[in-house]
Amino acid sequence: MLAAFAVLFFRLWALQVLSGSQFLQAAENNQQRPQPIAAPRGPITDRFGRVLVTNAPGTAVQITPADLPKHGAYAELRRLTAILHVPLTDVTTQIAKAKHLGDTLTPVTVKDFVREPQIRYLYEHQSEFPGVTIANSFLRRYKFGDLAAQLLGYVGEISSTQLEQMHGYRLGDKIGQGGIEASYDKFLRGKAGLKQAFVDSLGRPTRPIEVKSLPVPGFAVRLTLDAKLQRAAQKAIVDGINRAQANQQWYANAGAIVALDPRDGAIRALASYPTYDPAVYAGRRKRDLAPLIDPKVAEAADFPALNRALAGVYPPGSTWKPVTALAAMEEHILDPNASLHCTGQLTIDKQVFKNWDPFANQWMTLPTAIAQSCDTYFYQVGKRFYDLPADRGQPLQKWAKSFGFGQPSGVDVGPEEPGLVPTIKWRQQTYTKKTDPYGWQIDRLWKSGDSVQLAIGQKDLQVTPLQMARFYALLANGGKLVTPHVVADIEQPGPDNGPISGPLVLRRFQPPTKELNLDPAAISVLRDGLFQATHSGSGTSSGVFGNFPIGVAGKTGTAEKIVTVHDSTVLTNTSWWCGFGPFAGPTLVVCAVIENGGFGGAVAAPAALQVFEQYFGKKASGIATKQAD
Amino acid sequence: MVDYATTERVIARPRARAREASILRNLDWALLLAVAALVGYGLWAIAGITKHDQSNPNYYVTRQAVYALIGVVGMVAFIFLEPAFWRRHAKVVYGLVIAVLVVAPVFGAEVRHTRRWIDIGPFRFQPSEFGKLLLVLFLAAFLAERGKRIAERQTTLAATGFALLPIMLVFLQPDFGTAIVYAAVLGATLFVAGTRWWHLAALVGGVAFAGAFVLWLGPAMSVDVLKPYQRARITGFTNPSQDPGGSTYNINESITAVGAGGVNGRGPNGATQTAYNYLPEHATDFAFASLSEQRGFVGATILLLLYLFVIWRAIKVITLARDAFAAIAAAGIAFALLIQIFINVGMTVGMAPITGIPLPFVSVGGSSMVANLLAIGVLQSICLRRR
Repeated sequence: MLAAFAVLFFRLWALQVLSGSQFLQAAENNQQRPQPIAAPRGPITDRFGRVLVTNAPGTAVQITPADLPKHGAYAELRRLTAILHVPLTDVTTQIAKAKHLGDTLTPVTVKDFVREPQIRYLYEHQSEFPGVTIANSFLRRYKFGDLAAQLLGYVGEISSTQLEQMHGYRLGDKIGQGGIEASYDKFLRGKAGLKQAFVDSLGRPTRPIEVKSLPVPGFAVRLTLDAKLQRAAQKAIVDGINRAQANQQWYANAGAIVALDPRDGAIRALASYPTYDPAVYAGRRKRDLAPLIDPKVAEAADFPALNRALAGVYPPGSTWKPVTALAAMEEHILDPNASLHCTGQLTIDKQVFKNWDPFANQWMTLPTAIAQSCDTYFYQVGKRFYDLPADRGQPLQKWAKSFGFGQPSGVDVGPEEPGLVPTIKWRQQTYTKKTDPYGWQIDRLWKSGDSVQLAIGQKDLQVTPLQMARFYALLANGGKLVTPHVVADIEQPGPDNGPISGPLVLRRFQPPTKELNLDPAAISVLRDGLFQATHSGSGTSSGVFGNFPIGVAGKTGTAEKIVTVHDSTVLTNTSWWCGFGPFAGPTLVVCAVIENGGFGGAVAAPAALQVFEQYFGKKASGIATKQAD
Repeated sequence: MVDYATTERVIARPRARAREASILRNLDWALLLAVAALVGYGLWAIAGITKHDQSNPNYYVTRQAVYALIGVVGMVAFIFLEPAFWRRHAKVVYGLVIAVLVVAPVFGAEVRHTRRWIDIGPFRFQPSEFGKLLLVLFLAAFLAERGKRIAERQTTLAATGFALLPIMLVFLQPDFGTAIVYAAVLGATLFVAGTRWWHLAALVGGVAFAGAFVLWLGPAMSVDVLKPYQRARITGFTNPSQDPGGSTYNINESITAVGAGGVNGRGPNGATQTAYNYLPEHATDFAFASLSEQRGFVGATILLLLYLFVIWRAIKVITLARDAFAAIAAAGIAFALLIQIFINVGMTVGMAPITGIPLPFVSVGGSSMVANLLAIGVLQSICLRRR
């Protein structure tokens, strides 16, 4: 008997005296419900301070899983979700996730934007909904609809994988999920405040809520983007697609336009089509989101979530010719003033390579070959690269790399694709017995055809529109490789989170530009050729830019690509145009791509013109498109 | 054994007057005072524990005081009742045990999936609490009667058989905790009656096997004697943090409450585990945890010392008992009290499985209070008619 009592005393002593403070803390924690107070997220503005994204204050309904009744929780959730028109399974999976992570005290958001009558009902029937709390929330509001949707990104609740990978975030936090929202999240998100609620075991409040700290609103992010130019660029893609369809290019369905300042790489427009209204992310409607998140639906809708300007990879076609020419001149294997014979076709190593214009028969210097986009001229340049002794390496690929191809541009918003510059080594690694069991021994070899096709931007080469714009910026600024960027600075937002008055700049972004020390004469010759392309009678886009009051120079491209549409394989042309203006002192580079659009001169060039027209505020007096590469 | 009873009556009559005159002298006053202190302390504890449970903070303590008063009246009545009365009516006593235990599941009110209570007017009456005392008295009578054949196997088997019926009835209510107390009573009475040690060992072994079967072997062979919630609660104390929202919720909150009490306690207003109902059943099964939270180590120690004193006096009564029946009965009562305290306090501090047995003299509940006071009455009655 004494032993039994001694044991009880000992246990009491251990619990109450030795570890009493620890249990006291546990008892205190039992009734405390720390709840974050949402901080308003910073606005995103264009370069002129036009607010592109701001917040709409809303009322959210949340559930603290720990405070749900032990019996009847399911019935309560069913009633709640019926009132709020939310799928029950969404809520139960969220609660299950919270329980799995062992955090049942952080409120789970059932619905973000709840209407007034429903809120009033919940307040009136508070006792029937233990564990349910009502909190302020902020929803992202996109004033301009689909403007720069892929670039801006969206905001969503943190996923469990993100929670594991990122530091300083909590379950239920809303974070940027792509685009600017993701890459500048740490500036935009602000700092949530903290309030402390006290509840009994049934989740009923026992004391008034204490505010421990107030939320700190997020900073404003000012983009280099020009909203009006962006709008024009997005419209230009749509117009370009319509133009292509009018030319019987039935597969034309998508496109991208990049416009940037060649002096510092500031992106003025970054358009991708098809697009979407980011507001679908603010609601919780699965059907609207399907094209963005469900791979099958997305494919049928031509991947609207894909930012083609950064992550769309295409063969560049003839817009690549200046790259080949510049590399050849730097390697001293091409004299720009010497004439080569431009013919309708050219046979190299028993293989016939055709010119886009089968009737061409003319001796050309480099500027003319650029202006008329002569393929056979560049086949010969490609053969010269192929014929170089092995100890010269692969100079075209080496120069392409130094111009920024085959690697991410380092733009401050993602996701970005590196593209592909094919090399001898790449062929050997790609075509192996495993991947290509029947032809690998042949396919792994680098043949003359590879060099010839690479010279005109065909075959395995893949670039993004942004990489091309970066290269044309290099031609426009005289040999400097800029780092494209889309954010100008971080600012203290004005009152009410609205338009910024007298902004306080906290941090300015000026990514480095790299001087490549290229031969100025070579660049000058190329610029000359690009100007002829838009102005001489036989230039591939002179009908489009010839009458534009500002001197714009640029190159068309028509890249052959095998695409699978509705289970059949067709050869289509990706329509390209890249160029810059004003010719004397370029302030804008534009690169336009219309997928499956046909000839660059017919579709992409007029689309690029629309962007220049908006930028310079001047109209071209009538254009005549040409079915020209 | 009939002649033995007659002898006693013959001896008792001439001495009756002198006995009654010396009642005041022969009562165990220390025990009486200790029980009074225990009841008073229990009421004070309940006043704090139930302060936030009803709009009237004195609701439970008033009720409890009324029960204590009824219990005291009953106790006094039992003091005057000769112990031999129970022995003479052993068969009736046993019949009563079975009757009340049968009535509970048949006519009882279902509370949280169990039928332990019978509603009589405004009172809710828990027969198994009274059954405990009655079983002790019956077993004491039976074993005293078999005094000369106590070493025989048949005696042990018969006593076990008689006890097994009420144990099963209680178990089926289901009330696992009280079934354990009944079994402990059987063991204690057999022990004091002088059963052979190996009979006891076999009995303990059998109980251990039954326990193991019920908790682990049975489920493994998909024979479920216990309801899943019972098994989870009973085995849960070995690993309280395995399922904090479910079966081990009670034990976690209970240990937290006890620990949070610290040395001096948090007081009725500061004890959030009790006040905000995190600790379930804090006025009944978990009263000790609640008391520990509100009054701390000091308050809990005072209660345990009072218990220790009461049980020490009860054991002293065994040594004073004038005959085998009285000694066995006193032992059964003392041990039943001890095992209840140990299981109840043990469960609140995580050392014993969670079973719904009340803390004697403290937990809110009329049946327990009255039955325990009646048991003290029997003890006093034995003490009064000491050798």
